[in-house]
Amino acid sequence: MKSRRVLAGIVLLANLFLSGCWSSREVNTLGISVCLGIDKSDKGYVISEQVINPKTIASKKMTSESPVVVYTQEGEDINETITRMTTITSRKIYHSHLRMVILGEEIAREGISNIVDYLLRNPEFRTDFYFAIARGSSAREILSVLTPIELIPGVDMFTKLKMATEEWAPVRGLRIIELANDLTADGINATITAVEKVDDGDTTNSTDTLKKSGEFEKLKFTDIGVFKQDKLVGWLDELESKGYNYITDKVLHTVGFETYGDNGMVSYDIPKTASKIKAVVRNNQPAITVEVKLTYDIVDVKGDLNVSKVENIELINKLVEKKLRIICESAIHKAQKELGSDIFGFGERVHDADKAYWKTVKDKWNEVFVDIPVTLELSAKMNSTGDITKSITQKN
Amino acid sequence: MGTQAADHISSENQKLLSRDLKANIVTLQTDFGHSPDLIINLAQLRKNTALYASVYLTEMIDHTVINSISNELSQIDAERIKSKSESVFDFLLNTVTKLRATRSGNDYTKMYEEILSGNTVFLVDGYDIYISVSTASDEGRAISEPTTQTVIKGPKDAFTENIDKNVFMIRSRVRNEALRIEDITLGTVTHTKVKLLYFNGIAKKDIVDDLRSRVSKINYDGVLGSNYIEEIIKTDPYSIFPTILNSERPDTVAAGLLEGRVAILCDGTPYVLLEPALFSDFLQSGDDYYENFYVQSLIRIIRYIALIFTLLVPAVFIALVTFHQEIIPTPLLISIAAQREGVPFPAVLEVLLMDLTFEILREAGVRMPRAIGSAISIVGALVLGQAAVEAGLVSAATVIVVALTAISSFAITNYAMSNAVRLLRFAFICIAGILGLYGISMGLIILLLHLCKLKSASVPYLTPAAPYIKGANKDTLVRFPLFKLKFRPAGISGTGKARTNGRNTMDPNITKKPEIR
Repeated sequence: MKSRRVLAGIVLLANLFLSGCWSSREVNTLGISVCLGIDKSDKGYVISEQVINPKTIASKKMTSESPVVVYTQEGEDINETITRMTTITSRKIYHSHLRMVILGEEIAREGISNIVDYLLRNPEFRTDFYFAIARGSSAREILSVLTPIELIPGVDMFTKLKMATEEWAPVRGLRIIELANDLTADGINATITAVEKVDDGDTTNSTDTLKKSGEFEKLKFTDIGVFKQDKLVGWLDELESKGYNYITDKVLHTVGFETYGDNGMVSYDIPKTASKIKAVVRNNQPAITVEVKLTYDIVDVKGDLNVSKVENIELINKLVEKKLRIICESAIHKAQKELGSDIFGFGERVHDADKAYWKTVKDKWNEVFVDIPVTLELSAKMNSTGDITKSITQKN
Repeated sequence: MGTQAADHISSENQKLLSRDLKANIVTLQTDFGHSPDLIINLAQLRKNTALYASVYLTEMIDHTVINSISNELSQIDAERIKSKSESVFDFLLNTVTKLRATRSGNDYTKMYEEILSGNTVFLVDGYDIYISVSTASDEGRAISEPTTQTVIKGPKDAFTENIDKNVFMIRSRVRNEALRIEDITLGTVTHTKVKLLYFNGIAKKDIVDDLRSRVSKINYDGVLGSNYIEEIIKTDPYSIFPTILNSERPDTVAAGLLEGRVAILCDGTPYVLLEPALFSDFLQSGDDYYENFYVQSLIRIIRYIALIFTLLVPAVFIALVTFHQEIIPTPLLISIAAQREGVPFPAVLEVLLMDLTFEILREAGVRMPRAIGSAISIVGALVLGQAAVEAGLVSAATVIVVALTAISSFAITNYAMSNAVRLLRFAFICIAGILGLYGISMGLIILLLHLCKLKSASVPYLTPAAPYIKGANKDTLVRFPLFKLKFRPAGISGTGKARTNGRNTMDPNITKKPEIR
């Protein structure tokens, strides 16, 4: 009896040690990758990893080393190429803290579904990183740009994109779940924002960049790339991107201005917008109504407009609505007439409105979409005139 | 009742006194091995009356009492005494009974017990009964402030090594005739005085009976501290958790008695045992009741947090750093990674070494002579902490983790509980190093199962949380105001009656705010 107990104890203990430290790894053996770049090459893929050099970032000692190191490998398959990295780094590349995935423009045009599949399937990838398409340069070049203040470029891009999404209407950050949804769903097409290198004089990717305060290479989020299925087909410029975000209710906060008269100007802050897409199908003819409600606060008045007067408020409301119409129409025009890709999700609304009709057009939706009539119902409302009413130069 | 234990010990060879005084004295001296401190004074009250002897241990008695007794004896009207031994015995008995508490008996074992506890025994020639007079000296340490269970606003007296003083401190707090005190003598060699205290009518009778039988069955040669009792009577002797509360504060013991607990006092220890003691009792302090209930509720919650910190912080740190780096926020991970650049050991080993170092420092600090005590903090803090980090042997994060754990362990009010958690921490460190968070969860499940299994004097250890008793959680994680605490803690007391006379703790009129101008 006793010996049996001892035996059971040994077996249990052995279990504990046999499973021994499986998957255990020390932090100082990891190469924490914050940014993954995927470019196309003749062979297949060129994959770049932006790996943090921790001691330059968190140590008290000043170092002249670069805060990140970019490792690049070429291969035929994504996973193979990433694993091939071990031949050039001493650290195991660790992707759980990935902040950005930068796709080369060429590969985006070719199709990104297998990349999204890989990123979704691999448990090492979290789901909270953003996507961007490198415009005007390769993903690898984007990864090599160093950024001051926030020393890790991947984190810099991530926070920049997050902040701009919240504050600036034309930019939209997209995470993998939304991207995968947009790619797989019928009646909506995906979009990914573009990142561009802005050369402000110097173009060296050395830590000397970090010693400068103004004239250096910067990364900028500009246009929005429009996809058809999983392939990039074109770009929305700033105005169109803004319209796209207004229509899809993705604007959290933005700003705008209106001119009136000879040199008068009112500038305003938009803390709140709400939009709704409605679809009606009549006689097998779908029609879309887009409602956008916008509330704004006056932040600056140039000229002699008394913004506290009701008739003037109505005037400004009209101006704002007019501008909003231009913005939204440009986005719809680009998507329908030039790119032929339903990025707004009109198809989903049509699906909700008439399921039977949807079944007949589901497979050729992108062709049908091109000719759908879209009505815009816009309304702008002034919320406040700020802390003062009249312009300070105005006498009465 | 109190003689049960004594009977139990002496029944093996009961030796009775002889009628012959000389024979008795010879036996006495042989049994005590002619010890120089055993004083046997032979005297006569008057010429030609029977010889009597007063026997005592000179270091154990209060000499002023002896003096007053002999004074009284010398002032008597000797003529009244006849030569017969009966009258001498009666006379002695009458005289000393007037002055002090007396007991009599006829067997050696009990007489020795009296002598050894500092009483004076009178033996009269021709009489086989002894008279014992209480003359025990109450010399010893004066009542002083508590050293291990300090409070800010509460009473500042603590128990001493003298059991009678301790009883006085409790009695003077609860002036009620229902307080029962039962004597038990423990230790086959030491004959230590042990007292069982409880409130008749409040304590659960089954618990009292059970404890009495468990305590009186202790068969050990010496009982030199209350832990001797605690360790032997614990219902789960192998458990790491204390199931008997140790207190050096008379107010805590009085409160415990009022709640229906049984106190065990042991001569020679300034710590009184209280049973049943539940898990939540080990995280309470006297101050909880002497300060505002909002503040003390928060502080209690902090203590629970400290308990969790002590138990889990190093383990979770190791698990995160070696297995689950994806959970750590990116900036923190980068910072930890930077600190760990060039650290030669794996995180488990690092934490284990630092924790071990801290435990050594702590043990050394306790055992070291007070005069050189400050040296240890210099060596500990500067040499080990700072130098190790600067030399790159350990990472700063590890030092912070170990320091947080150490400080948290001091926030647990009960020393025994704090020790238990301290020890468990090492188990968790090891399991986290091998299995990560999975191991920690497994460990926690086992720990919880163990806690659920534990009982203190037949009351489940986690009462009133598990088994959950509705409405009984008013004095566990938080402390409700006293006027809401109408009932005693669940499961402990034998009576379900409220602590108040009538329904309300206070006169309902009190809440009406009078306007006095």
